[in-house]
Amino acid sequence: MNVASGQLSREQAIRETVYRSCMALDAEDFSAFLDLCAPDLEYTVTAFSPEIRKEMIWLEQDLEGMRALLEMVPQHLKRLGTLKRHVSVYLIDDGNDGIAKVTSSFIVTHTDPQGRSQLFVAGTYCDEVDCRGERFLLRKRNAHLETRDLGIGSHIPI
Amino acid sequence: MSARNAEAWRTLPNVPPTHVVSGEVYTDHGIFVAEKERIFGRCWHLACHESELPNTYDFRTFDYVGTPLIAVRGRDGIIRTFINVCSHRGAKIIHEPAGNAERLTCFYHLWSYDDRGACVDMPRPEAYHGVGLTKEDCGLREVRTEAFLGLVFINMDDDAPDLTGYLDGALDSFAPVLGSGELEVFHYNQSILHANWKAWQETNLDLYHEWMHVLLRRTQMKAASMESRVVKALKNGHTAAGGLKASYEMYKGMAKRDTDMALPGLVPDDFFFADIWPNVAILARGTAIRIDVVIPIDEQTMLVEWRGLGRKGDTAEQRRLRMRHHNQYWGPFGRNVPEDAFASEACEAGFRGGAAAYQILAREENGAGQDDGMMRAWYAEWSRRTGRSAAQPTAAVAAE
Repeated sequence: MNVASGQLSREQAIRETVYRSCMALDAEDFSAFLDLCAPDLEYTVTAFSPEIRKEMIWLEQDLEGMRALLEMVPQHLKRLGTLKRHVSVYLIDDGNDGIAKVTSSFIVTHTDPQGRSQLFVAGTYCDEVDCRGERFLLRKRNAHLETRDLGIGSHIPI
Repeated sequence: MSARNAEAWRTLPNVPPTHVVSGEVYTDHGIFVAEKERIFGRCWHLACHESELPNTYDFRTFDYVGTPLIAVRGRDGIIRTFINVCSHRGAKIIHEPAGNAERLTCFYHLWSYDDRGACVDMPRPEAYHGVGLTKEDCGLREVRTEAFLGLVFINMDDDAPDLTGYLDGALDSFAPVLGSGELEVFHYNQSILHANWKAWQETNLDLYHEWMHVLLRRTQMKAASMESRVVKALKNGHTAAGGLKASYEMYKGMAKRDTDMALPGLVPDDFFFADIWPNVAILARGTAIRIDVVIPIDEQTMLVEWRGLGRKGDTAEQRRLRMRHHNQYWGPFGRNVPEDAFASEACEAGFRGGAAAYQILAREENGAGQDDGMMRAWYAEWSRRTGRSAAQPTAAVAAE
């Protein structure tokens, strides 16, 4: 289900775009996630390494790259269980150009097949939501990670 | 044949003893203690790359099998390593992973050390005069440090043979690129994995496991013939593999890698690697290099460090592309390394309680294809170092 700008307050619709993108990834409903993304999507996962004192880009995809990556996920040997993103929208800067900049804090928990949950990763989303069309769309996301030890890692973007 | 009963399950297969490894090597505490002493206490260990310490007084801290260490680039440009604990009360001195400091000052009582490890300051030293203790008695413990092709190695054994003799040509295939002086580390991350440390090294030695990776099935296994591969067992347990190719465009969403992105001396679609015994793997994929270092924590837990190396003079655009090349395969969100980590932890689950009795390293392909020769060579050195047979490691232990 997508957010229609007419049905909700503008700010609520912006929040829901962020939340729904996370819910779709949690559910591994990749077509629903891609449906929430703008054609000019830029998706990055970054972290700062204090060891080498450099910013690192661990994942960088445009829409087609993200589509290809997610399409291949079922063919990979991947971490068992589920990831759950808990997101709190902190700031919404709703610019005059129809692009809202949204800053959110997130933590992701991993629950294994036996039902044991633990923290997987913590970080900050810096998103841009395109509010110019009939539907609000995720145009840009930078997931900046505080957590750098990701155990066995993840085939699914955070 | 049918499934086996308990006795049959635990009976070693009818292969040469060099071709089978007992599960006890992963679980036995006595073996772990012996490994710490006879292997990690004596072998050269890759601490960092020179580019991590570009400036005078830059430091890097790291833990090595429970020992906190600090590498410092001194006034003379030489990198030295010290045990990172104060001579006074034993407190760990520097807690940041990296930084720059002319003096290493302990937070506790402000004892300070210089870039040579000399104790150069202690508040109110006159109170020690009566017992004859001076700053000169209180330098840091220095650890042997040698650099080769930009790689900084340390050795806890003051009497160990020198690094060049230890490596004995094992990095020859990497000399053009690592020796170019044009590389720097652009990627670093580390993870605790719940498996014995040897399981990680095995994933890097086991060519046969490429069947596990859909990425390698598509890009690597058909890119060149199995016969063109060359698997080498070198001296001192080191190993190397070459003759592999990659057709990156065969995996959806990836593109062919251009020649102008190749690192010095490398071809974009070549893939080769070397394993430096006991715990280092260096892999080259034309446009990026990956270096793994695995450090044991206990029998069932290890720390793996991953580094990515690229060209120092990259433009911002080139660096982004190089990061992408590196991380598509090897990053925490890559298509390859997370699967290796999964495999290591799955093997640990098999061996931890003794459910799995042994593993088989019996593939023989004349040093090509998916030959297990590298793993056998690794365990031959393990046996020499520990005085134990890998097939029956808790039987008689040879004297040193």
